[in-house]
This record gives sequence, C-alpha cells and structure tokens, in this order.
Amino acid sequence: MPEFLTRKDRKNTENFNKIGEDIILGEVSINHETCSGCGLCIPVCVVKALEIVDKKARMVTDLPFCFSCGDCVAICPENSINITKFFRLKRSFRFLDRGQPEPPRRF
Amino acid sequence: MSDSIAIQDAEVKRFRPPESGAPFNAVEDIIYRRRSVRSYLKKQVPEYIVQRILETGRFAPSSGNVQTWKFIVVQDQKIIKNMEDIIVKLFKRIMKFTDYIKSGSKRKEWFAKVLMRVMPNSFHPVPFWGIKTIANGKMGIWHGAPTVILILADMRAPGHPPVDIGIAGQNMVLAAHSFGLGTCWVSFCTTPLNMDRKWKKRMGIKYPYKLVTSIALGYPRGIPDGYIPRETHAADWYSEDGSFKIIY
Repeated sequence: MPEFLTRKDRKNTENFNKIGEDIILGEVSINHETCSGCGLCIPVCVVKALEIVDKKARMVTDLPFCFSCGDCVAICPENSINITKFFRLKRSFRFLDRGQPEPPRRF
Repeated sequence: MSDSIAIQDAEVKRFRPPESGAPFNAVEDIIYRRRSVRSYLKKQVPEYIVQRILETGRFAPSSGNVQTWKFIVVQDQKIIKNMEDIIVKLFKRIMKFTDYIKSGSKRKEWFAKVLMRVMPNSFHPVPFWGIKTIANGKMGIWHGAPTVILILADMRAPGHPPVDIGIAGQNMVLAAHSFGLGTCWVSFCTTPLNMDRKWKKRMGIKYPYKLVTSIALGYPRGIPDGYIPRETHAADWYSEDGSFKIIY
C-alpha cells in the first residue's frame, strides 16, 4: 500500500544540526587498490564531498553532503567507486514508496 | 472471434518490442547512461550542434500542440557571469536569515523551518544545502558550462506549461548526450532571475514569457555517462484479472 505522511509528520521538518539522525547522508566506498588518483571525480561531485589525499580519492571528513547521485561512480575510469549508502531523509521530506537500489534492469 | 484475434496478432507483428531480457537499444542506453555533468571543458559548442539540439526540442509533444517553449541560447560568458552574480547575491541574502547550520541560532532555525513548510519545493533539504553552498561560493550555478540554454514558457498555454517545457528539455538533453556532450538541468536560476527586473529587461523577457528552467551544455571532462544503481520505486499495478499488486 502507498505510504503517506501524517499531519504531525508534516510539521516535523528535518534539522540540519541532526545529520545522521534526521538526514542520512549518502556514502561511497573507494577501492584504493584500483584508484589511480586521476581526480576526475573531484570536480564532478556537486557537493564537493570527495578529495584527493596521497594520490587516492576519499570522502571529505567534514560533512560530505552526498546525496548519492552516482556521478562519481559513472565517471570513474577504473570503476573503483561504489555507492554504499543512499541519501535518505527521515522526517517531513522523507522519500516514500522506495525499494532496494538496483542498476538499470532488463526485464 | 478467434479470427479477429488472429488478425490482431498479425497486426501486432508490425511493432518491434524487444524480446524479454534483450539488451538495451540505443535510446534506452542513452537514457540509462545519462548523468548530470558538472565539470566542463572550456571549448565552445559549435552553433550547428546547438541548433541540432534545439530542433529535437521543437519536435517534442506538447499540450494541445501549442509548443509553449521559447529557447534563449547564451554563449556570451559575460551574460552567464552576470546571471550567476544575481543568483549568488540573492542566495547570500537568504542565507543571512536562515543559515542556522553550525551557528546554532534558534531564530534562524525557526525561520528556515517556516520557509521549508511554506515553500517546500524551494527549501527542500537538498536545495537548501545547495543554496548554502552557492552562497558560500563552493558551488557554481552552471558549473562553467560554455553554453546555457534558458527555457521560457508562454504561460498562456493550455494545461501545465512547465510540464511541456520538461518534455522538450529532456528531448534536447538526450539528444546532446547521444552526441557525447554533457548537460545539466539547472533550476536554481529561475526564482532569482524571474525576480530581477533589470535582467529581464536586458534579456527582453516579459509576460507571457516566464523563465522555467535552464540547461547547461558543453563538452564534459572525462566520460561522465555510465550506469549507476538507483533506488527502485513502487508502482501500483491493477491487473486485467482485477487483482492488485505492487511492483518495484
């Protein structure tokens, strides 16, 4: 059955000071064995959540506001980036009727 | 009865649906691989390619075949810079009242939450963060794209003009990606630019035209297009036999 928001839910908006609780940020894992440090993923990331440290890409430690768009996954020539956690909102803006993440499927 | 089904079956052979599990065709492939491009080369897109892209927008379906769109192609970097300045200026002003993140100001938090409830589309948490990063100068608007296509709607059109704009725009975006170009939908510009009378006069925009969205266009850095995983969405399904199911 479709999900809905109650009136109470709608009043309860996300608080940016409760990241991790109200707002679950996306996360990518970078395979440091295959990462060549080309740096293509850095400008591609809209929220600048990636940086190069010691010739390897990694997520910034200071609030990487990743909303799992997947641009870094797609651009990586070595296929070393994977989305491990998808962006989620927990209160009045929460996504409804979502299933498991999948790449494009052939039915 | 069986005769008519046989005729129908023969008729159906005219169509070419893929076999179950068949590889993606060219159109599907472009759709699935299209990624928003946010890093461009400085090289300008030739005029004939832009025209070819606009042509695909011209042949988009629209409500009542009214073709409500108007395109403004901006390749003048000065105008793009000017538009970005207008947007950044407004976003900085908004952030003065609403940036409670880390500062912990209760008053700003209250104001931000009121805006989130009154204008949920503009102040959804994701664009709210976007407004903040744009105001900080950490995020560009058109990400340095050499060409910006502003799409205006004639607001007298039947139905919902912005929907028709979306249809035409997606035609253009997919065409651009099929040429190996990169695009990005940018709608952060609409409210600030629609509010700016001086800019509107400069560009000759007035009623019934209204800026609805814009597309950044250019040569991408690297090869940004590719498959990614994405969350599936529930679809309600009322079957022919009267049963109901939810598919993902």
